[in-house]
Amino acid sequence: MANSVCPTCVELKIPCLPEFVGVARLAILGVASRMKFSYDEVEDIRLAVGEACTISVEWAERNGEKDSGITLRSEIDSEKLTVDIFDNAGPRNTGNSGQQVEQEPENLGALLITLLVDEVSVEASDGGTHVRMVKYAGQR
Amino acid sequence: MAKHDEVTDVNFKMDMRALDQGIPIIELEGEVDVYTAPQLKQQVIGVLESGARELVIDLTKVDYLDSTALGVLIGGLKRMREVDGNVTLVCPGPRIRRVFEITGLDKIFDIYNTQEDAQEAIGKES
Repeated sequence: MANSVCPTCVELKIPCLPEFVGVARLAILGVASRMKFSYDEVEDIRLAVGEACTISVEWAERNGEKDSGITLRSEIDSEKLTVDIFDNAGPRNTGNSGQQVEQEPENLGALLITLLVDEVSVEASDGGTHVRMVKYAGQR
Repeated sequence: MAKHDEVTDVNFKMDMRALDQGIPIIELEGEVDVYTAPQLKQQVIGVLESGARELVIDLTKVDYLDSTALGVLIGGLKRMREVDGNVTLVCPGPRIRRVFEITGLDKIFDIYNTQEDAQEAIGKES
């Protein structure tokens, strides 16, 4: 399944560095524009993807994994857009026994993602993290 | 030679000047994100260290703003409020304004549609 060619998928690999986050945003803007999303919804997806990649970049910096990468995979469906973001930026250990510090941009970014897309899941994956976001078309 | 207080990138431009009453204003253009926000942070720190108690940040020409940029703005506001100062934003565009609204930050920042409105509000406060 994972290796089969998906006719409605777009995949992009970028270095896990700040200057490449804009490339991921541009790519998803192009993909989302092909669907029945409103202008605002396309913007929401662009921002959500930007935030997810930014969190990956911040963890890569924190973990000293600057040579790591981000894979952005989007699947177009008639009803929804699914975006998978994989990084190999190391574990997301927050220290302080999982207690996160309030007001960190990273938390703000995570908050934004949950507000902008319909479904979000985050799980550890292969030396990094896998974030899946789903946005349904024609919700408004 | 480039002016010290002007930073230009393909997708980002930052200009620093003073309004009529000497209030510093940072005018931003383009994308303020994880890549460019550190430049804004340096500029804001510079303003704080200069002893200014008011700062206006104009987002009129900004077409993308992320959480990193919001973090810089919140940090600047916090430090300004500690010394009884304030950071006032100019943001007429609904797209960027929406980012403040959905995060609830529109209730924390004083946001105006024009530089004139921001200036007038600061004048009334002081």
